[in-house]
Amino acid sequence: MRRGQPSEAEPTALAVLALDDARARTWLAEHQREDGSFSIDVGPYVNDSATGLGALALGSGAERERALDYLESSRALRVESTAAIPIDESAIGWAWARGTASWVEPTARALWALRVGRPSSATIKDAVDLLRDRESVDGGWNYGNRVVLGEDLPPFAQTTAAALIGLLGLDPDLESRGLDTLSRLWRVESAGGLSLATALVAFRVHGRANEARAARTALDRLVDGTRLLDDGVALCWAALAMRPRSPETIG
Amino acid sequence: MVAGGVSLRRLLREPQPWDEAAFRPPGTAHVAVLTASGYDSGLEVTVLEGLRAIGADVRGANVLLKPNLVEFDPTTAINTEPRLIAAAVLAFRRLGAASVRVGEGPGHRRDVQDVVTRSGLAEALTGVEAPFVDLNAAAVRRVTLRSHYTDLGELWLPAPVLDADVVVSMPKMKTHHWAGVTLSLKNLFGTLPGRVYGWPKNILHWAGIEPSILDIGGAVRPSYAIIDGIVGMEGNGPISGDPIESGVLVFSNDPVAADSIGASLMGSDPERIPYITEAGRFLGQADRDRIEQRGEDPEGLIRSFAPPPLGAGIAAG
Repeated sequence: MRRGQPSEAEPTALAVLALDDARARTWLAEHQREDGSFSIDVGPYVNDSATGLGALALGSGAERERALDYLESSRALRVESTAAIPIDESAIGWAWARGTASWVEPTARALWALRVGRPSSATIKDAVDLLRDRESVDGGWNYGNRVVLGEDLPPFAQTTAAALIGLLGLDPDLESRGLDTLSRLWRVESAGGLSLATALVAFRVHGRANEARAARTALDRLVDGTRLLDDGVALCWAALAMRPRSPETIG
Repeated sequence: MVAGGVSLRRLLREPQPWDEAAFRPPGTAHVAVLTASGYDSGLEVTVLEGLRAIGADVRGANVLLKPNLVEFDPTTAINTEPRLIAAAVLAFRRLGAASVRVGEGPGHRRDVQDVVTRSGLAEALTGVEAPFVDLNAAAVRRVTLRSHYTDLGELWLPAPVLDADVVVSMPKMKTHHWAGVTLSLKNLFGTLPGRVYGWPKNILHWAGIEPSILDIGGAVRPSYAIIDGIVGMEGNGPISGDPIESGVLVFSNDPVAADSIGASLMGSDPERIPYITEAGRFLGQADRDRIEQRGEDPEGLIRSFAPPPLGAGIAAG
């Protein structure tokens, strides 16, 4: 996560995607679990949310297939819609931890991996349905829900970017609204390296060249000035955002 | 997005869900309530006065201040005010601390840099030359729990928390739509790293918010609490409520006593907040007769915070 700490699956997978680093890919392959996931045990819970990024980073082959098999078989717990949190019960998505309920970011990651690695997967439609259901009232995505206890939850740049990266080419109207929202949000949240970097990836994969240029300038300045607080995940996203080949070519 | 919380009431059928050897029976606690009209000037002196009133001894200690930093919205009062945090840094140094750091793992936003910068905390800490530690990204170690309100058995805790001699919980005084109130115990959710527990620390919601508050409190054991009630949040807290000027700071050497008095200052009956009552059995002092109060008389400072629209037994983002 930071320099000098033990390696972890999420930043390692991002580093592979950004730098095409063979040693990092080998580390990932060695740390993939028997069930195909990349997981952390948290008492009786299993945080398997790095599996989508791991699948992308492994590249084509049997290891990626195992990770995608895991994703297809480990969707979130189906939950009921309530007055407090009204949702589309039919949309399931992916969770931070196995056996719990879905959230935007892990769903977006799984969708990205399946869209690239297994575009025929029936679960892709479910992921798109979930992101459509969770879309904030004025476009974009919060980290969780659209409405809680009667409050419309605001969208954020990082979660909106994550959803847009996953959705590429799957729902043009939803993507268009999300991109419009991200075009507004990234400037508001440009003090944050993770927001800027993920927004830049989203702009690049969606071909928004003008926004990408402006976000790149801001990200360069922030990296030079702050090193993104040495946050390994944010730095890996920045490297991915800045790589010469478009992140769209991942896969 | 939705979590099925574990009922604290069900867990309380257990006679004693903690290891007796790990928790001495709560003794007498000290609480000081001081008034402050704003954040602009004189805060360091007020904080120093509060810490002295509760007998804070941090000479030679490495101190970690744990504020409440969730997400940033300029229209309301979600976070512990950065000027108060900076004043606390200076006050702890004046009391002889060897080092003072500020650490938080924001529960909602992954982009800590954005929250730290836009909230004004980065600038405030630069002004007092104090480092910020992102607890969502810090190195972690597994710690076996000595209380068993959740089924977690262990926690992944950041090294900066475990290695600090003194942890100071510095919450915002605010309502919380799932837990009732956010005070010094609930604030400790932010010590757990999101990269392990998800956002917004979702695994803890599944393990049960109130049971998690108790187990985290039992693992982190903050030495002191400073509650920012100068401007609190009422209504739909912890993020969507409204600012309320209550003009108080609460200091204590016991997080349970701090929360008991803090809840009272919000117009709530702490005995009706189950996790505070339960924490009073093993983690700290909730018995008013055994809380020595210094500073102002809390009775005259009570502001009735508008209650949150409580979610019945569920937890969510």
